[in-house]
Amino acid sequence: MSIPPKNAQRLLRRFAGRADLEDILGDMDEIYSCNLKDAKEWQADLNYWRQVCSLLFSYGFKKRKISAAYAHYYSQNSIAMFKNYFKIAIRNFAKHKLFTTLNVFGLALGMSICLIALTVTVTVHLMDEFHQNKARIYQINTSIKGEANKTFYSSTFPATSDYLIQNYPFVEAVVDIQSGFKPVVDHHGQLFDFSGYFAGEAFFNVFSFNLIQGNPNAVLKDPFSMVLTEKTAKKLFGDESALGKTIKTDLGTFNVTGVMEDLYQTHFFFEMLTSYETYKKLSVTDLKNDWLNFRNHYAYTLLYEGTETSQLAAALAETAEIADAYYPDESIELRFIEVSNIVPHKWNNNNALGVGWEEKALVFFIAIGILILMPSIFNHTNLSIARSLKRAKEIGIRKVMGVQKKQIKTQLIIETMLMTLLALIISFFIMVPMKEFLLEMVYFSEVVDTDLNIYQGLVFVGFALLVGLIAGIFPAQYFARLNPVQTLKGEVLNGKNKVAGYKKGLFVFQFFMSLVFVTGVAAIGKQYKFVLNNNHGFESNNVLSIPFSDIDKQILMNELSKHPDVKAVTASSNLPGLRSSERIQVSSNRIDSIDVMQVYVADNFVEQMKMELIWGESKAISRSNQNEELVLVNQRLIQSLKVFYTQADTLRFTMADGTKCRVVGILKDFNFEPLSELISPLIMRYSLEKSNYALVTVNSPNIKRTITDLELIWSDIDQNRTFRATFLDDEIEEAYFIFVAQLKFFSVLSILAITISCLGLLGMVSYTTENRTKEIAVRKIMGATKASLFYQLTKDFLKLIAIAALLAIPFSYVFYDKIFLHFLIRYGTGLGVIEVVISILFLFMVGAASIYWQTAKVTKANPATKLRYQ
Amino acid sequence: MKGYLGEFEELVLLTIANLADQAYGVAILNDISKRANRKLSIGALHSTLTRLEEKGYISSFLGEPTNERGGRRKRYFELTDSAKLELANMKALRDQLWAGAKINLSLK
Repeated sequence: MSIPPKNAQRLLRRFAGRADLEDILGDMDEIYSCNLKDAKEWQADLNYWRQVCSLLFSYGFKKRKISAAYAHYYSQNSIAMFKNYFKIAIRNFAKHKLFTTLNVFGLALGMSICLIALTVTVTVHLMDEFHQNKARIYQINTSIKGEANKTFYSSTFPATSDYLIQNYPFVEAVVDIQSGFKPVVDHHGQLFDFSGYFAGEAFFNVFSFNLIQGNPNAVLKDPFSMVLTEKTAKKLFGDESALGKTIKTDLGTFNVTGVMEDLYQTHFFFEMLTSYETYKKLSVTDLKNDWLNFRNHYAYTLLYEGTETSQLAAALAETAEIADAYYPDESIELRFIEVSNIVPHKWNNNNALGVGWEEKALVFFIAIGILILMPSIFNHTNLSIARSLKRAKEIGIRKVMGVQKKQIKTQLIIETMLMTLLALIISFFIMVPMKEFLLEMVYFSEVVDTDLNIYQGLVFVGFALLVGLIAGIFPAQYFARLNPVQTLKGEVLNGKNKVAGYKKGLFVFQFFMSLVFVTGVAAIGKQYKFVLNNNHGFESNNVLSIPFSDIDKQILMNELSKHPDVKAVTASSNLPGLRSSERIQVSSNRIDSIDVMQVYVADNFVEQMKMELIWGESKAISRSNQNEELVLVNQRLIQSLKVFYTQADTLRFTMADGTKCRVVGILKDFNFEPLSELISPLIMRYSLEKSNYALVTVNSPNIKRTITDLELIWSDIDQNRTFRATFLDDEIEEAYFIFVAQLKFFSVLSILAITISCLGLLGMVSYTTENRTKEIAVRKIMGATKASLFYQLTKDFLKLIAIAALLAIPFSYVFYDKIFLHFLIRYGTGLGVIEVVISILFLFMVGAASIYWQTAKVTKANPATKLRYQ
Repeated sequence: MKGYLGEFEELVLLTIANLADQAYGVAILNDISKRANRKLSIGALHSTLTRLEEKGYISSFLGEPTNERGGRRKRYFELTDSAKLELANMKALRDQLWAGAKINLSLK
C-alpha cells in the first residue's frame, strides 16, 4: 500500500507548529486510501495536495494553531512559574529586611481593626444558626403605617398566635414571648433583680436550647413555673440542685421546673423564663382577643416541613386585616423573618427582642477599619514604588527575556499577597487582645462566641488576599510599564530621589488622619475631665447615696441624721446626675400636653443639693393637700407651658392622671441627667414614700469609719436588708462610662494610625537617605555641619507634615466641635485650642523622632567609607 | 455567537445526529457528499466543526488508535443539548412556515 505524499505532510506539519493534527492527518490518510481504490495514484496524490491547501487556509486549522500557542504559557509550565514567583518573593523579602518588616507590621496593624469588624460580622451572621428547625421558625413582625410615617416593630399582637394556630393547619406551633419579666427575687432576705421573658409552652420544643434538668415538654406549662439559666441557678442556689425549689418574688412565688444551659450565640437574652400562663394570670386584658397592644409581645411560628413561605405570607395578610379593624387610622401589615436572619437584618427595628448588632453599626465598624487600613495600603504602595529603583533591573531583564506585562503584574501581586498573608498571621495576634478589650465594653459579650472558626478563617484569608490585590495593583502596574532599555541603563535611578507627586498626597493623607485621631483623643479626654469636675448645677461632693431597699425610711433618716459626721439627710426617687426614666405628661389647658421628668424628693432636697431657686419657696411642697399638689419645676417647664397658653396662670397645670398641680418654686435650669441629655422639663414632688435613695451629706475626717458607723445604724433598724453606700460622685462618673469606652477606642485607633504613619515615614526616610548617602558624604567633606545636613534631609518631610496639620486643624475643629462632641455631650465646652496645639506638637515630635532615627545614622557615618561604598 | 445557525451548519449537525456514535471527520464528509451531492474539502468541514464547537453545539473526544489510519486516533463528535434545542427551534419554525404557506408547495 502506498503512502500519502510526504512533502505535503511535511508542509502541513511545518505550518501547524505546535498544534495537534493527529485526527486531521488520520482523516486525510483514510480519504487517501479511499481515493486510491477508485482512482490512480497520481490522482489521489493530487487530491491530497488539494486537501492540504484547503486546510492551510481554513479557520479550523488557524484556531488550532492559536490555542496551541497559548497553551504553552498557561497550562504546561504554570507550576514551575509560580514556584519561581514564590522563590523570588521570599528572596526579596529576605534581602530587604527593613522594608519587609515595616510593610508587614504596617499591614498587620492596619488590618487588625478590620479583622475585629469581620469577626463581629461573622459572629453576628452565625447567631441563632444552632436551632435544628431554624429554616422553619419565623418571627412575626408588625408594620404600622400612619398618615405620615411607617413604623416597623419586631413584636406583634397577643391574639395573633391563637388565631394562626386555629385557622392555619400548616402552623405546627407558635411560641409566645412577652418581654419585661423583671422580678425582684427575695432570696433569704437578700434582694436580687433579674430579667427574663414570659415564654410559651413550646419554647423548648421549637428552639434547640438544651435543658440540663426538667422535661422540655412540661417546664413552661403551668402558671408560676420557672426555668433558670445555669448561671442564674448558680447565683441563687450555688451547687445545690435548683430543680423543685421555690423562689419568692414581688410577682408571687415561682416553682423552678427546669435549668437550661447558658445562652450561646442567640439573640434571646434572659436570666430566667417563666411560663406564658403566668403572664395570662398577671395580665388584666383578655390576651386571646387583644389586637391592640403589640409592643412587648413577640410570636415565633414553627411551620410544618414542606410549607412554603408564601402560605405564611397569605395567612399573615389575612390576620393583618383583623388587626386593621382595630386601628381605623392606620394600616397594619404583618411580616415574617427567619429566626437566623433576625440578627443583623432586622436589628434596627423599633423594639427588637434580646440582643444583637444592627447592620448599620457593622457597616460603620468596617468603615472605621478600612479608614485605618488605607494608610497601611498607601505605605505599601509608596514603599514598593520607591523600592522599584532597586528592582527595576530585575524587571528589565525579565522583560528582555520575553516576559509579558500580564506576567509581571501577576508576579508582583502574588508577592504582595504573600506579604498580606504574612501580615494576617501577625495581625491575628494583635487582634485577639484588642478584641477581648473591646468585648469587655459589650454587656452581652458572654453570649457571643468570637473564637476562631472555619468561617472566620475563610473570611480572613479572603480578606488578606483582597488587601494584597488592592495594595499590589498599583506597584504592579508601575513595574509593568517600566521601559527595559532605560532600566538596564540605570536611568530610572536618576533624578527621582525625592518623594514626588501623588506619593506626597498619600503621605499628607496619612498624617492628616493621624492628627484627626489624636485630636479626637484630646477632645474626648478634655470633655471627660470637664464632666467629672463640673458640678451639674448641684452639689455632688461628699454626698453618699444609700438605696432604701424596703427599710423603714423615716426611721432610717432620723437615725442617720443623729450621727455627728452627718451634716444633712434627704431622699429622692432618682439620683441627680444619672439618667432617669420616669416621664409623665402634664397639660395646662387640657388639650396640649408635654412630657416632663418627674422626681420625688424629701425635705430639704433643694437646699442640701445646693440647687438654685430663682423664685418661690422650696419648703412649700411638703404642704400639698388632696385638692392640690404643690410642686417645684425648672425654668424649661415654664417656658414649654407658655407656648400653649399665654393668658392663663402658668403656675397651674394638670397631670395626665388628673392631679392638679400648683408651682410654688422655680429652679434655675440644671442638668438633672447626664450632660449628654437635653435639659428637659422637670417637676419635683414631695414624697418620702416614693423616694428610693437616702442622700447623706457627710463631713468626716475618716470616711471609712463613718460609713461603718452608718452601716451599724442601718443594721440596728433592719438586719435583713443589705446596706450599700456609694458616693454620688462615683455614681455620676460611672454614668459616663461611654466616654471612657470612647476614649479607649479612640486611643487605640490613634495609636494604630500614628504607628502606621510613622512606619511609612520611616520607610520613606530610610529610602531617601540611603539613596543620598553619596551626596551627604560629599557635603560633609565640603564642610557641611550636622545641623545643615539634618535640615537637608528632613525639610521635605516636615513640610509635608505641616501641610497635613494645616488641613487637619479646620477639619478636626468642624468635626469634633460642631458634630461629634455635640452628639456626645450637649453641655460641654467644645474643642479647645490647647488640645489642638498639643496634638500637633505630639505628631511633629513623633515624626521628627522617626526621621532622626534614620538620618542620624547617615550623618554620623564617616564620609570616606560611604564614598567608597557607592 | 449563539442563536444563528447556517444552512451548512445545520446540515453538519443533522449528519452527526444520523451517524450517532460513528460521527468522525471522514464519515461526516462522506455522508454529506453522498446525500447532498456536494463536493467538500476537509478544511471546510473542520472549519465548520470548529465553529460549531465554539458555539457550544458539539463536543468532541478522541477515540482509540486504528490501524488503517497509521495508528492515529479518530476525533468523534456529538451533539450538545443546546444543539438539540436549536435544531428543534429550527424545525418548528420550518414546520410553521410550511403549514402556513398560502400557495401549494407540494410538487406532484
